Amino acid sequence: MPSEVLGLAAALAALVWGAAALDARLGASPQSRLVGGGVARPWREAARLLVQQRRRTLLPDVLLTRIGVLTLLLAPVLAATVLPLGGAPVADLDVGVVWFNAMEVCVWAALWLIGWGANSVYPLIGAYRYVAQGLAYELPHMFALITVAVGAGSLRMTDIVQAQHGLWYAVRMPVAFLVYLVSALAMAFWGPMGQPLGRDLAGGVPAELSGADRLLFLAGRYAVLVVVAAAAVPLFLGGGAGPLLPAWAWTLVKTVAVLVLLVVARHRLPAVRMDRFMGFSWLVLIPLTLAQLLVVGIVVLP
Amino acid sequence: MGLSGWLMRWASVRPLVVTGVYGTRTRLLVEAEMARRGWAVALSPGEANLVVVCGVPGEGLAQAIRVVWEEVAGPRALVELLSDATPDVVVAALDGAVVALADEPGQRRAAAEREPPSWPMDHGMDHGGMGHGGHEHHMGSPGGVAMADRGPDRDGLKLDRLHVPLGPVLADWPSGLVVETVLQGDVIQQATVHVVGGVAGGVSFWDEPWVAALEGRPVTRGEAERRRAASHLDSIGRLLAVAGWPSAAMEARWLRDRTLAGESRADLSRDHARFARRVRRSKILAWMLRGVGTSAGPGASPEEDVLSRLRRWLDRTGDAMSALDDTTPLVGDDGPRGPVGERPSAAALAVLPRLLDGAELAAARLIVAGLDPDLDQLAQEPLHAV
Repeated sequence: MPSEVLGLAAALAALVWGAAALDARLGASPQSRLVGGGVARPWREAARLLVQQRRRTLLPDVLLTRIGVLTLLLAPVLAATVLPLGGAPVADLDVGVVWFNAMEVCVWAALWLIGWGANSVYPLIGAYRYVAQGLAYELPHMFALITVAVGAGSLRMTDIVQAQHGLWYAVRMPVAFLVYLVSALAMAFWGPMGQPLGRDLAGGVPAELSGADRLLFLAGRYAVLVVVAAAAVPLFLGGGAGPLLPAWAWTLVKTVAVLVLLVVARHRLPAVRMDRFMGFSWLVLIPLTLAQLLVVGIVVLP
Repeated sequence: MGLSGWLMRWASVRPLVVTGVYGTRTRLLVEAEMARRGWAVALSPGEANLVVVCGVPGEGLAQAIRVVWEEVAGPRALVELLSDATPDVVVAALDGAVVALADEPGQRRAAAEREPPSWPMDHGMDHGGMGHGGHEHHMGSPGGVAMADRGPDRDGLKLDRLHVPLGPVLADWPSGLVVETVLQGDVIQQATVHVVGGVAGGVSFWDEPWVAALEGRPVTRGEAERRRAASHLDSIGRLLAVAGWPSAAMEARWLRDRTLAGESRADLSRDHARFARRVRRSKILAWMLRGVGTSAGPGASPEEDVLSRLRRWLDRTGDAMSALDDTTPLVGDDGPRGPVGERPSAAALAVLPRLLDGAELAAARLIVAGLDPDLDQLAQEPLHAV
């Protein structure tokens, strides 16, 4: 058990750094890219934030901000405990999918608390945006997860992996998989769905954070991204199944593939605003996921 | 000494760039040098450890910069550059900032001498643009700060009304512009525009070739078109950044820097064509920008949406680039933003409050970026538009 916990922590940390380094590399200016700029940036940024002093805004709610920042870091770690990394997960809950979703909803609370706590306009509006984003993506996202659970006849992650013997759910229920990828971006407030941290909001939710607070925020943010990418593997990509390599290696390869896809999406696609996306989500994505659920339900029924 | 000294030397630099009136030339040099060094800009004082001031700020802007500087956590450095700074001066100043940031004893002394933040008690206005809107309160006000008043919003709810200035210190924002807003949620209920001036008596960097030609100095059409292309690319970069497409914004700024550095027509035209294709093809961008910034009401000129303005900038940049080698003398006064003598940016400011009323903050930022007024055009006289 302790070795599994250590393995999970090490894998998370390595992937968080990898995602941050790839993102910095893709986001580096063309001039600096020629001389190899970018990859060291996460370390240099961490060094800067470690020595930077804390700052306060006028009349902040420090307690709520701290709770928010810690929640943002803890929620993805707790969500990761139900993910099978090759063998058994750290905690093989029989309601693993529900646990994963519950931890993801904690991220809503985290962002709202951080945005509220600073007593400053731009973080507050960033937090509004994340709540609006939640309203837009959460229902299609839940229907996608329910489709997977119906297909496998279980909410346990290991059962879901078992049920994909032969054919991945990404192939059997492609609409649910695509909707999951969109909601992964939204959950991690990343790339096209990154407007809670928008450039037009002077950085949005974490605008007033500095020093260790900002470092923890960034670590939590990348951890959410890594975990939503990792969850796609047992849910849709057959878990550790694959030829030649051991299960943990396949899990890693697939996780990295989804993670790279999400990071690259950030540098290819412009941002989506919820005042436009909301209608699309409710009028197109929800009916699509319901239709997918219906099809899977009919196929599964004896 | 020890670990923290090592960390300070290794730490990244995150500059917050503030531009005063007539500081555009210096800002462009600073941005190009930052891109070369691979520094990412800070979007807020909380994210920054370096403040770079380009050009001499007037009194209003200087006050805003003081507030922002107070909000930057140490270790920190401040660089002030004049409007006529040369590339060498910029490089030396930024090198100096790197040294200052790594100077552990110096930073410790500065931190010890630093006074605890003093909060301006009358709210909103004095916050230098990074908007601690906060909550106004009439009786028993916490910390002497008034709580927000309330009023009905567009959905018939009763919501807090915050008085928030946008600008003058804000990333991807026209330098010197302040939009005083009354915000409910993220909806602007009311907007008034004013300009924090600088030291008067110069010519807008973007209008220089046309002004020079009007004054009878010899200017070739190629030079002027080079300036026009760079000006539009600067506006495009800003708009794409505000629209949340940082990689495309970076590409626009890279093209802008190469245009100003005098690269050849063939290379620039080819790369611009590729860039313009990429931006035009984005269905998501078109979906997000379509219909933003139109207003049904009667009145002044720009009634088109932000998307069509972006596309027109792309076209005009392409046209300007095909004329880079034209050595005929420049005739006419049609600068990047219109006839330079007529100060088209003043007209843009005049329509701004009407366009912003009732807009969500995201749309408001897009509207401002879509007009991209050049306030250096009107610095000759202090303007207090409605």
